[in-house]
Amino acid sequence: MARVTEYIDCNSFIHRLNPLSKLFWALGVMILALSFNNVFYLLALLVLVILTGLMARVLLNLAFVLKGLLIFASILVLLQIFFLQGNMVLFYLLPDQHLPVTKEALLLGLAMGLRMITVVLSFLIFLSTTQFKDILLVLTEKLRLPYDYVFMFMTALRFVPTFLDEAVQVRYAQQVRGCPVDSGNPWQKLKAYQAVALPLVLVSLKKAERLAIAMETRGFGCGKRTYYQEPVLTKLDTLVMVMVIATVILAITFRLQGYGIVHY
Amino acid sequence: MKPILEIKGLSYRYEGGQRALRDIDLNIYPGEIVALVGQNGAGKTTLAKHIIGILKPPPDQVIVCGNDVAATPVSKMAKQVGFVFQNPDHQIFHQTVNQEVAFGLRNLGLPEDEMKQRVTTALKEVGLELLAGQYPLSLSRGQRQRLALACVLAMKPEVIVLDEPTTGQDQWEKIQIMNLVADLNKRGHTVIFITHDMSLVARYAKRVVVLCQGEIILDNSTQDALAKPEQLAKSFLKPPQITLLSNRLNETLNRPGATTVLTVEEMYSNLQAMMEGGA
Repeated sequence: MARVTEYIDCNSFIHRLNPLSKLFWALGVMILALSFNNVFYLLALLVLVILTGLMARVLLNLAFVLKGLLIFASILVLLQIFFLQGNMVLFYLLPDQHLPVTKEALLLGLAMGLRMITVVLSFLIFLSTTQFKDILLVLTEKLRLPYDYVFMFMTALRFVPTFLDEAVQVRYAQQVRGCPVDSGNPWQKLKAYQAVALPLVLVSLKKAERLAIAMETRGFGCGKRTYYQEPVLTKLDTLVMVMVIATVILAITFRLQGYGIVHY
Repeated sequence: MKPILEIKGLSYRYEGGQRALRDIDLNIYPGEIVALVGQNGAGKTTLAKHIIGILKPPPDQVIVCGNDVAATPVSKMAKQVGFVFQNPDHQIFHQTVNQEVAFGLRNLGLPEDEMKQRVTTALKEVGLELLAGQYPLSLSRGQRQRLALACVLAMKPEVIVLDEPTTGQDQWEKIQIMNLVADLNKRGHTVIFITHDMSLVARYAKRVVVLCQGEIILDNSTQDALAKPEQLAKSFLKPPQITLLSNRLNETLNRPGATTVLTVEEMYSNLQAMMEGGA
């Protein structure tokens, strides 16, 4: 799980796109995914996102995330089966006609699952094809968000893999002291994890403090910033953004006409 | 004698595909004190992690104290193998130094009175007895390192693995830690320590294992290993200056087969003997 939000260097044309157009694309995918709840519309959208991932040559690295997402998606499907009462019974999960699985519940569950996978995957593609510093630059320079907050948010994101890595190290350190995080019943395990959580928080606080000092010694917040390299908007970027906007407008129009939406 | 640690044909590749260990064969016998040396990235820590099962070896390739490491959870291995990490902060989370040391003993299920006694002894051994009631994170880096050592000592494992135990210590603390380690070894514990400091190797290790790019390129008694600077140079290691000096002197004085000198004291007594013999 440690490498979820990391940049993957492949230099595809998607890598070379301006971060702004990729952000537009990811947001566009999200709007589209939220607009429709027809399984087939969402499936088509997911296929498009997967194709983009393939073109960017980052999909293989994200395959293990997909596995985790599939588990979450199946939980969503199960939840719908339990809670949505439809009319078209397909089959029963338990004998004696208990726990009916209806067509409506199954379809809605699948739609929810697909929607989640599509949105998460599109943002992962955005993050793994764009360097951290470029995202920062676009958000502050192009979108005029306040630098301090953007920096704070992006740094938090940047430290997720480090944090997970640290968690593994702490778990090892406690295991070798005989702490039963790797054996025993679930309740014992849960209690044992206290010994992992506490050092992890302490180490992270320490790290945050050190980071703040290191940043100040290098002049963070002393005045107007200049930038080392500013990514330019190419014709391709304009094309991508215009296409995204056009698609979104089109999709919303269709949605208002009642296409791609199923009422349960 | 039966080895306490047996490694047979162990190879390891990290997830990213990077090869870390290649066909390692290593037997370590009860009561030995072994230095594991090599460049950064040579595979020292990776090898050490296989000894306690933090990295899982394939079945039957690593046997420690009669346990197949592949099949034993780390928290069970901890009864027989102690492991001191480079970063002490990954384990510290209690309110007092005392409680911190007691944590491991509680995991072993020791009775309260024995626990107290072991905690006191362990803290005395690392020289932290006066800080027993302090908040562990308020200790200095060197003190925290020694606290981590005390946590392992108190558990009295048969095998102790130390990953660079002297990082961040001043010269006096270094000697203290290593004297303690040597003392543990004399009391029958098997010790394996990773280090970059060749003077510590010369002074404390009885056997040296040199790793280079995941392979053992030299496994010998400390004297024999340090007598071969060319072999060590492959790993960019250099024997301590006093050993180099004695090797050169042996060459110029044409004394083949003379013993390799490891410490200043040895050099001094050798020279004294020579001068008295010559006079």
